[in-house]
Amino acid sequence: MCGVAAIYAYHYAALEVDREELRGIRDRMVRRGPDGCGEWFSTDQKIGLGHRRLSILDLSEKGAQPMSSADGTVVISFNGEIYNYQEIRKQLESEGYVFRSGTDTEVLIYLYQSKGEAMLRALRGMFALVIWDERQKKMFVARDPYGIKPLYYADDGWTVRIASSVKALLSSPKVSRLKEPAGIVSFFLLGSVLEPFTTYQEIRALPAGSFMWIDSIGPSIPVQYFSISSVFKEAQEKSGKINPREIPDRMREALLESVRYHFVSDVPVGIFLSSGVDSSCLLGLARQEGIKDIQTITLAFNEFKNTLDDESVLAEKVAGLYGSKHSTVWISRDQFKKEMSLFFDTMDQPSIDGMNTYLVSKIAREKGLKVALSGLGGDELFGGYPSFRDIPRWVSFMRPFHFLPGAGAAARYALQLAAPKSISPKFAGIAEYGGSYAGAYLLKRGLFMPWELEKILGKETAREGWKRLGLFKRLGRALTPDPRNDFFKVASLESSVYMRNQLLRDADWAGMAHSLEIRVPFVDAALLKKIAPLMISSAQKLSKRLLTESLSNPLPDNISARKKSGFQVPVGEWLSADQELRRCEDNARLAQSSAHWSRRWAYEVSEQLTEKI
Amino acid sequence: MKILALVTDAFGGYGGIAQYNRDLLTALAGMGQQNRLIVLSRTGGSYSGDLPNNLVQEASIHNEIIYSFKSLWTLLTKGPFDMIYCGHIFMTPLAVVLSLLFRIPFWVCIYGIDAWQKPSRLVEWSIRIASLVVSISRHTRRKFLSWSDVDPHRVRVLPCTVDKKFTPGPKPADLIKKYGLEGKKVLLIISRLSSDEKYKGHDKIIEIMPALIKKYPDLVYVITGEGGDRERLQKLAEKYGMSEKVIFTGKIADEILPDIYRMADVFVMPSTGEGFGVVFLEAVACGLQVIGGNQDGSTDALLDGEGGWIVDPESLDEIKKVIIETLDHSKVRTAKANRFYKQNFNDLVSQLCDKFRECSHETP
Repeated sequence: MCGVAAIYAYHYAALEVDREELRGIRDRMVRRGPDGCGEWFSTDQKIGLGHRRLSILDLSEKGAQPMSSADGTVVISFNGEIYNYQEIRKQLESEGYVFRSGTDTEVLIYLYQSKGEAMLRALRGMFALVIWDERQKKMFVARDPYGIKPLYYADDGWTVRIASSVKALLSSPKVSRLKEPAGIVSFFLLGSVLEPFTTYQEIRALPAGSFMWIDSIGPSIPVQYFSISSVFKEAQEKSGKINPREIPDRMREALLESVRYHFVSDVPVGIFLSSGVDSSCLLGLARQEGIKDIQTITLAFNEFKNTLDDESVLAEKVAGLYGSKHSTVWISRDQFKKEMSLFFDTMDQPSIDGMNTYLVSKIAREKGLKVALSGLGGDELFGGYPSFRDIPRWVSFMRPFHFLPGAGAAARYALQLAAPKSISPKFAGIAEYGGSYAGAYLLKRGLFMPWELEKILGKETAREGWKRLGLFKRLGRALTPDPRNDFFKVASLESSVYMRNQLLRDADWAGMAHSLEIRVPFVDAALLKKIAPLMISSAQKLSKRLLTESLSNPLPDNISARKKSGFQVPVGEWLSADQELRRCEDNARLAQSSAHWSRRWAYEVSEQLTEKI
Repeated sequence: MKILALVTDAFGGYGGIAQYNRDLLTALAGMGQQNRLIVLSRTGGSYSGDLPNNLVQEASIHNEIIYSFKSLWTLLTKGPFDMIYCGHIFMTPLAVVLSLLFRIPFWVCIYGIDAWQKPSRLVEWSIRIASLVVSISRHTRRKFLSWSDVDPHRVRVLPCTVDKKFTPGPKPADLIKKYGLEGKKVLLIISRLSSDEKYKGHDKIIEIMPALIKKYPDLVYVITGEGGDRERLQKLAEKYGMSEKVIFTGKIADEILPDIYRMADVFVMPSTGEGFGVVFLEAVACGLQVIGGNQDGSTDALLDGEGGWIVDPESLDEIKKVIIETLDHSKVRTAKANRFYKQNFNDLVSQLCDKFRECSHETP
């Protein structure tokens, strides 16, 4: 965790940095970093860097940020963790660099001095960083390959303001509040805001796996240095046939390495344990790696008692199997209601998810943890979602419509008229969108369908937002270069869209709400690069079996074969029961009994977060 | 670099856009003698000043069809060109046709209200092809990006610049005498008095003049410029009984413009439609107190209040209060205004050219 803040008055006409403004942005992120704060200003007062610290590595004052190089020519404000910092440090020491602290931050400074922007390829971890380079008179801004750590910037044409959260930037009165219809439409289509958009026109996300230079004429176009689809493509092009007998060992080795790296910390690290395969395997792998005294936490809800959604029973079995210090915490509707105000205050951008992570992070922090591991990303890596099965099928069946102009739309109009109201609105779009991966993905993940937006948002916002969003073009980018096989296409979409914009964003702000750092060992570019060739060569069907077979102490069958669940929260039940949360019923479409709870919840979130749409 | 400039007006033109084009084209010409510029203007009279050696401005052509053919002919006969400079958003369809025909990247300048509202679909589409969009102010950039989906990284701000001839100086006795301003406190506004520019705030000052006169009996309001709105404003002054206190100077020759500023105490233009407002820079450079609005590009010229006074242009009470404050206190907020001088402007034009070349390879 930690919070990064920066103001760079790059234009000659721009006024010098207002120190109070920088402090305001920085301190809006106090929950990201309650352990300390710092600031740095250039001598001409045109650049200011700020930082809020959550101490994880080198807890001493030596780790305080912003941190400067010994010669003062490089200053950094950094959020995240570099798991392989010790190896890089050794390398830099051999080049003659002398270190003053035991932090990964200082490693970044000298790595930048040594390699410049090429430094990013050497890093294993999650990060968002801002570096001021006094020699080049340029600012270097970068984000980790998957986009685990967020970074937003608002450029008004004279001054660029940077922060780890949108709300921090909005604490500055100088940042425009003008709404971005593309961000709003994105939320209603997908349940989260697709980067680089936010719900504010002037505030943009630096895309995942990208870096950007800012000089005296402003921010340059971000440069992408990593993409998931290119890893898949490269794996197919370069990897020779791997001996199938080697695959389990190499898979195990890669997974253990990732888990080992994600335990690098000077404070205890816990695990969020659901009864699903991913978090259970994380715990199993951690124990296999010899890590002891692991604290695990599971949430339970009365509403799910004696149903398949109840995580508590199986999670306790897994905890018992691997010998973790386990806690099951029961959450009631009243607790949910009590948390609502802080929940929406800390939600950075509208999201229809996040309650699960918010609640489990709160419990983890209350139990004294500063760092917790999550099984997030396992489904994207090992094909855990139904989308891996459904999307290729739909595309195969519906492809003819894709090549017949107007046929899909005509079919939709017909189905809209003919289909009973109780059937999902997505059904009508199957012919229109089902014939391409991007279209089928929208059908699978979509919250509302494009033709429903006008009724929710009004004509102007819906049309303008849809146009500016360019959804299919953006989804197409997740598939460029072409990952070639069906599995990798869906994996690229799920990782670059749903995971990046929804799951990782939620893990960030919801963990931040309680000053808890959430680490995700399955979301690791180095791991992906290692296992992609194995997946190609694997004779068996790509599935979670590749993961479960890596465990020396295997999971019981009723867990490894369990249908996908994972940290469910009974928001639907709570919404129905609570009068205060039934504002959505003002909207005729959402008042229908057939309206899915997630649509109603989206409406509540938008009311809370986007003021008037 | 060889540049074809398509402009509404530049050398010999009148008003802020013409001035901006002159400054920018001169800066482009000044980047090196190897640069060659051919300027095709739609309006504007003959120019008596010196043109840069490597810049040629052809006779203006008002008819848009002939102008388009002339542009095409120039590209065919005087090329090859490296850049098309499009001096107005409404000329982007022509620029884009030429750009696509001859594979020459173009940059376009946007100023004020012309770029604040969503234009026709043709213009909206055309501007997407531009390699670089140069906005006169942050406000115009923001407004432009609210309707255009051009990548924000390709939209840069290049503010107006101010000429060195605008410096503080004694009140010019001849002009004081000519307009009968001896012993008077003078409020000033300079504009084209176009009937399309009623947003500049003349009406508001005329309306509060009676109240100001009560506190400053010797106060006068000097309106400089000549255009279709003059008659209406004269009638308005009559309506408020201010005919004696509101003085219309008519159009002023460029050479005596600095002295016009120097004869005043406060420059006040509570406008709601400025792309930037170069007159603010000129007034500050001549040592005047300056008051502008907070709802348009004026805030750039006034450096968010550090280079002048910013008021809500819709609030007569606030305008009145600030005018009184400026008349009572002579301290001028000019310390930071020198950042708008030519050197910074020229340096940025040079950097934008580099950026233009870079963006030319990335244009969608």
